[in-house]
Amino acid sequence: MKVFIRYTFLFIFVFQSNAQLADFKSIDFEKADAIALEYKDETLHNLPDLSSKLTSNLTTDAARFRAIFKWVCSNVANDYYLYSKNKRKRLRYKNDSLRLKDWNYRFNKIVFEKLLDDRKTICTGYAYLIKELANLAGIDCEIVHGFARTSTMNIKNLDVPNHSWNAVKLNGKWYLCDPTWASGIPNPSSAQFEFQFNDGFFLSDPHIFSVNHFPADEKWFLLEDAKPTFEAFLEAPIIYGQAYAHFNSHNAPQKLENTVRKNEAVIFKLQLQKNIQKEDVTLVVENTFHEYKVKPEMVSIENLSLTIGHKFTATGYYDVHLYIKKDLISSYSFEVKKATSK
Amino acid sequence: MKTQITFTRKLWYVTILMMVAFAFSPMYGQSTAQQGKTIKGIVSNVHGPLEGVNIILKGANEGTVSNKKGEYTFPVALKPGDVLLFSYLGYRSVEFKIKPETSFIKTVMSDEVIEFMGDLNTDKRYKSKRKN
Repeated sequence: MKVFIRYTFLFIFVFQSNAQLADFKSIDFEKADAIALEYKDETLHNLPDLSSKLTSNLTTDAARFRAIFKWVCSNVANDYYLYSKNKRKRLRYKNDSLRLKDWNYRFNKIVFEKLLDDRKTICTGYAYLIKELANLAGIDCEIVHGFARTSTMNIKNLDVPNHSWNAVKLNGKWYLCDPTWASGIPNPSSAQFEFQFNDGFFLSDPHIFSVNHFPADEKWFLLEDAKPTFEAFLEAPIIYGQAYAHFNSHNAPQKLENTVRKNEAVIFKLQLQKNIQKEDVTLVVENTFHEYKVKPEMVSIENLSLTIGHKFTATGYYDVHLYIKKDLISSYSFEVKKATSK
Repeated sequence: MKTQITFTRKLWYVTILMMVAFAFSPMYGQSTAQQGKTIKGIVSNVHGPLEGVNIILKGANEGTVSNKKGEYTFPVALKPGDVLLFSYLGYRSVEFKIKPETSFIKTVMSDEVIEFMGDLNTDKRYKSKRKN
C-alpha cells in the first residue's frame, strides 16, 4: 500500500512538472517528423488515407498533429502568382461585396485545383489542409483569419484581413500555429518561394504570436492577460521568423517608431526560449549613410529574460536591427533628439 | 470399473458437445444477422456526378473511390449503424449513417467556400522612410 501511494505521488508529481515544461517541448517529435518525410510523395487526392498514414502509428495527439503539420509545411509550396493575383482582385473589389463574393467563388475552384494537381497554395490553403487532416485524425483544429504584419508591408493598406493560420486543441488546451510562415520564405534575391521549415511557428507562444498576428475574432489571441488593441498592433516593432525560434515574447520597446534623447538609455526586453551567450547579441544601427554593428553597452540574461541597453551619441534618424548570432530578430526606428538642457 | 469410466467419459463428451452446439448456434445466428449487406451509391454536386470522391468507413481502414459516373460499390458489407464519410478536397465532408433499410445512397456534396487570402513572411530587413 505504501509503495502504491508513493508511486501514485511520484506519478502525479512527474506528470504535473512535465505539463508545465513548455507543454510539449519535452515530447520528442522525431518519429512524427520521420513519418512526415516517409510519405513525402503522397498526393492530396485521398485526404482520409493521407491523414491515417501520417497519424496511425503515433500515440499522442501532439505527435499526430506534428506529423500533419510537418507534412503540409514541407510538401505544399507557396504559390506566389496565385497570391498576387488574389491580392489584386481582393483590393479591387474591396468595396463591391457582390463582385468580391463572385471572385472568391471562382478563386476557390482555382485554389483547390492547384492544391490537388500541383500541391501549391496560399496561406488559407495551408490552414484548410491542416484543419481537414487534423479533423480526420480526430483532432480539434480551426482556421483563424486575421491580420499579419511583415517588414515589407504597407500598414496603411492593412484594412482587410490578409492572412490565415490555425488554432489546435491538444490535451484540452488551445495552441497557435502558422503553417504558411513555417513552410518557408521567398528567396530575398530571386523572390522564388523556398522550403525552409521554421519550428518557431509550431505551437508558438501566444505572446510573441500577437506581436505580428491580429485575429479577426479576438478569442484566438489565446491571451489571458491584456490583448493588444489594433492600434498597438499596427505600431508594434517588426519581428521576423527567427524571433519565433528564439523568443517567447517581445516586451520592449513596444513601438516600431520611437523618439529618444541623445545619451538616453534605450531598453530592449525579450523573453528567451533557451539560454544564449551574451556575445551572441548584436545590434545593427543604420542611418542614411552608414551601417554599423554595435556590441550593446549592457546585455543581461536572467531567468531567460534578455535585457539590452543602448545609447545614441548623436542626433538623427536611425533604424536598429537586433540579431542573435546571424539570425535577424526585430527592427525599430529611432529619432534621436538633442539632450534636454539641465 | 473400466466400462463405467468409459460411460462417464461418453456422457461428458456428449454433454460438452451439446454445450458447444448450444453455445455456438445462437452466436452463429447473430453473426449472420450482423453481416450486413453490400451498399452502392452515387455522389454528385449541383452540376452532376463527381469522380474521385473518397468514401471511407469511419473507424476502419476500408474505403473506395467514386468512378467517372460518380458511382461506387462499397468493398465490404455494411451493417446498420456504420458511418460512411465522403471526402473530397474543396467540398464539405458528408457523413452518412447506414440504416436497416439502406441499400443505395445518393450523396450531394456542396462546395467548401473559404475566403482565400495570404501574405507571405519575409526576411527582408525593414527600412524606415524617416530621413535626416
